[in-house]
Amino acid sequence: MTVTLPASPRTQVGRRRSNTWVGWSFILPNFLGFAVLTLVPVIASLALAFLDWDSYSTPRWVGLANFERMIHNDTFWTALRNTAYYAVGHVPLTLCAALGFAVLLNQRLRGVRFFRTALFFPYITSLVAVAVVWNMLLSPELGPVNQFLRAIGIDHPPGWTTSTTWAMPAVILASVWRDLGYYMILYLAGLQTIPGELYEAAQVDGASGWQRFWNITVPSLRPTTFFVLIMLTISSFKVFDLVQVMTEGGPGRSTLVLSQVIFREGITQGRFGYSSAVSMVLFVIVLTITVVQFQWQRRSER
Amino acid sequence: MKRHLTTTLAATAALALLTACGGGGDSGSGQTADGKQILKVALWNYATTPEFKAIIEGFENANPDIDVEPVDILADDYSEKVTTMLAGGDSTDVLTMKNVIDYSRFGTRGQLVPLTDEAKKLDPAKQSGLDAYDLDGKYYALPYRQDFWVLYYNKTLLKQAGVAESKLQNLSWDGYATLAKSLTKGDGANKVYGAHQHTWRSVVQATAAAQAGGDLLGGDYGFFKDQYRMTLDLQQGGTLMPWATASSQKITYDTMFATGKAALMPMGTWYASRLLADTKSGKTKVEWGMAPLPQRATDGKVTTFGSPTAFAVNKNSKHTDAAKKFVEWAASEAGATAVAKAGVTPSLQTQAILDTYFALPGVPNDAVAKSAFKPGEVVLEMPVGDKSSDVDQILVEEHELIMTGEKSLDDGLAEMSKRVKNEVG
Amino acid sequence: MTLTISPPAPVEAPPAEVPRPRRRPSVRRAFAYLLLVVLSVAVLVPFAWMVSSSLKLDAEVFSVPIRWIPAEFHWDNFTRIWERIPLVTYLRNSVFLSLVITALQVLTGSFAAYGFAKVRFPGRDALFLAYLATIAVPWQAYMVPQYIIMQKAGLVNTHLSLILLQAFGAFGVFLMRQYYLTIPDELSEAARLDGLSEYGIWARIILPLSKPALASLALLTFVNTWNDYMGPFIYLTDNKLWTIQLGLRSFVGLYDAEYAMIMTGSVLSVLPILVIFLLGQKYFVQGIATSGMK
Repeated sequence: MTVTLPASPRTQVGRRRSNTWVGWSFILPNFLGFAVLTLVPVIASLALAFLDWDSYSTPRWVGLANFERMIHNDTFWTALRNTAYYAVGHVPLTLCAALGFAVLLNQRLRGVRFFRTALFFPYITSLVAVAVVWNMLLSPELGPVNQFLRAIGIDHPPGWTTSTTWAMPAVILASVWRDLGYYMILYLAGLQTIPGELYEAAQVDGASGWQRFWNITVPSLRPTTFFVLIMLTISSFKVFDLVQVMTEGGPGRSTLVLSQVIFREGITQGRFGYSSAVSMVLFVIVLTITVVQFQWQRRSER
Repeated sequence: MKRHLTTTLAATAALALLTACGGGGDSGSGQTADGKQILKVALWNYATTPEFKAIIEGFENANPDIDVEPVDILADDYSEKVTTMLAGGDSTDVLTMKNVIDYSRFGTRGQLVPLTDEAKKLDPAKQSGLDAYDLDGKYYALPYRQDFWVLYYNKTLLKQAGVAESKLQNLSWDGYATLAKSLTKGDGANKVYGAHQHTWRSVVQATAAAQAGGDLLGGDYGFFKDQYRMTLDLQQGGTLMPWATASSQKITYDTMFATGKAALMPMGTWYASRLLADTKSGKTKVEWGMAPLPQRATDGKVTTFGSPTAFAVNKNSKHTDAAKKFVEWAASEAGATAVAKAGVTPSLQTQAILDTYFALPGVPNDAVAKSAFKPGEVVLEMPVGDKSSDVDQILVEEHELIMTGEKSLDDGLAEMSKRVKNEVG
Repeated sequence: MTLTISPPAPVEAPPAEVPRPRRRPSVRRAFAYLLLVVLSVAVLVPFAWMVSSSLKLDAEVFSVPIRWIPAEFHWDNFTRIWERIPLVTYLRNSVFLSLVITALQVLTGSFAAYGFAKVRFPGRDALFLAYLATIAVPWQAYMVPQYIIMQKAGLVNTHLSLILLQAFGAFGVFLMRQYYLTIPDELSEAARLDGLSEYGIWARIILPLSKPALASLALLTFVNTWNDYMGPFIYLTDNKLWTIQLGLRSFVGLYDAEYAMIMTGSVLSVLPILVIFLLGQKYFVQGIATSGMK
């Protein structure tokens, strides 16, 4: 089992074979559970996109009919646009905020444990509380945010969750605030891998704090950033709970997202084929982004 | 230390899996130890929904050979869970039909046992809501409960304003608006609203459909106009809490009424049982009464809207006969009496049952309340059809836009009609 | 495959924290504190609302304007909730599920991650992409097929169903793989020369080095399992098996809800997470990344 270096051409073949065996042996315990209980149902649900199924009767092959209905459906396009809007706002803002606070809270500060805990609290606070308090803060007439905006001379501050234009920014704001602590934890773990002597060497060279951040911290965190970026992208495209509690997709359809459409069409309305077709679209988008990021990361690793 | 970490993890995991295998389990035999037939009934919030306990206990007393086992499901996502369970081939015998739209879905898919013969035995004149379960001449469920809308009012606030309660007996919506305006007082945290209309679209739309005779599935929504205009006008004048505030702050109608913040409130009869319980436990000190829902004209005819709740038999049930017996019992006079005694309005409405209800301690039993419970007509809140839930979704979305002022009333109504015609069907 | 900026680890390394800036330390520091204090307050406002609501009557929870200090403190909410629902059972179930799922996720996830990060074999990246791809499908889309598989296996309405469902997710594999990539290959090469097997390298070198990642994976998995509602809701029918989140939702009725009780329960349900969080914190301050080779 032990692999020694350097290898001759002959042993390299054997090494590859034994590597395959060793690699799989590591992956197998997780993969078994994963394959049966996640991969199979996922493939089944994607196959449903070509069927007509109400969860009870025998499924009927309909070819591309579900997709045809989808591209002519106004609600689908609205939800797709809203989801993309949400992701474009949510991903970079959360990423920057999480990274910034992780770096800040990785320092020797008095009370650092308290601050870390406090920043993680939004993630474990009841969603109803989150929705009510954010809606209160952003209340068009009485909310402190708009009172502040009026005080600094903005006569017509946004209507936030009661306005079709501003509801999505309000949701993004609340969601960045909620997820910040979650991704900060991941960055904190990543920061522990950076050897301290790198910073010391840089300091000897006279690098400023900002230079150290860009030249040491950011590159060293690349694998973590890759992980955070992908998880953030995926979770943004799948966003459900927060929107459901904060605006229920409203007013009108202004914050309706794809997951809500998938849920409504599938389990609520019993149109599982159509629901799967929508998830297929979501899946393809997210997968494309992921693969692009994956390739980009692999290139930068070399 | 390093090895320690791994072994601890592994040991915890292994131990956990072993103990987990022991947990749970299903009593699939269908019989109790003493030979009684077990009947499983899917329902919601067993602990806080008194009529379920009343029906089950009553049924068990009448049928000592059957033991009813409630399958308790959370009310919030009840239909989603039942859909999933049935997709997996679950054999729970009796299913409670939360609303008629779900019912028509389960019924048309063939997931329920036909109960047409049993339905024909019931008197449609007295079994309120029965016709809602007619799917092309076939019935798959029998209603045991029928809620309809009345006008709740705060007796103290009315007295303070010097308004006689009898005035509410025959109230038009114009009268309601005038009265609500006069009852509004105070400011800021002390403001008392003359009326509270909850954020649901039905408060406006189902009222209009029932009283103006419009078709909610029809695709032409001009008949909403009067009701919307009155509501928007009251909202504009500060008589109603702004819809946007109520919605975003998740203001419950209970908050508004039970803390004395609203004088008048159209709401379903289910709220009476909550008020009864809260008055008894001292949670609310509001003195409340019930009046008929206001009407378009004051000709004495009362038309309101409501929605029935029913029991159905699962096609996969292994005890169909016992299950049918349960469904029939719940819809019968004996079942209705048990439901009424729990403070809930049964589907079967006879004078004897009304008397049982009004004899309950705490129920307002003056003439106004009694007339509230004898509406001339109860129209189904949302007509049943394969388009119902799609139309419902559109109506909800456009209702939000009209009520937040994002769309003018005319634009909103036009958009509703356009979307229903284009997107549904 | 690995980042090249990390030099081979020295035996003794100082903690990997950003050193204090030398110039104007007090001004910067004061600014950082100010920012943190303001932010912490802002961040805790909804939690404060939760606590305040847990001491009110149901009808007082939502009001305009918000009433931060209850008119009357209903401390009895915190005793009443234990009588209203079998909270002990729910808490026990939640603790059990969260611990088991976290342990399994951490164990199998970190094990599989080694295969993905440190062993080269054909098909590895494709397999990894399959893992990633499944995360991209929303659960709402495949919950019914998954339920049917579980029903056929006779596992519905058992804790085991949830354990199997959530313990082998792709999240842990992915997180650990990314972390392993930052550990220099030289470490494992050296160990290989010393005659350690790959399993030995994982257990004796890599695992101890990845404590911060293990801690964050454990913490996040625990929190997600603890707060999960839809999974337990769909799979657990028997009241004796319910978790705390289901218990909280049982206060939501058909037409209304007991919000004071929900908030009381939510406050209670945050406490165990807080304990776990404070315990896990010590792994983020030790700077152990490079000091593991002893």
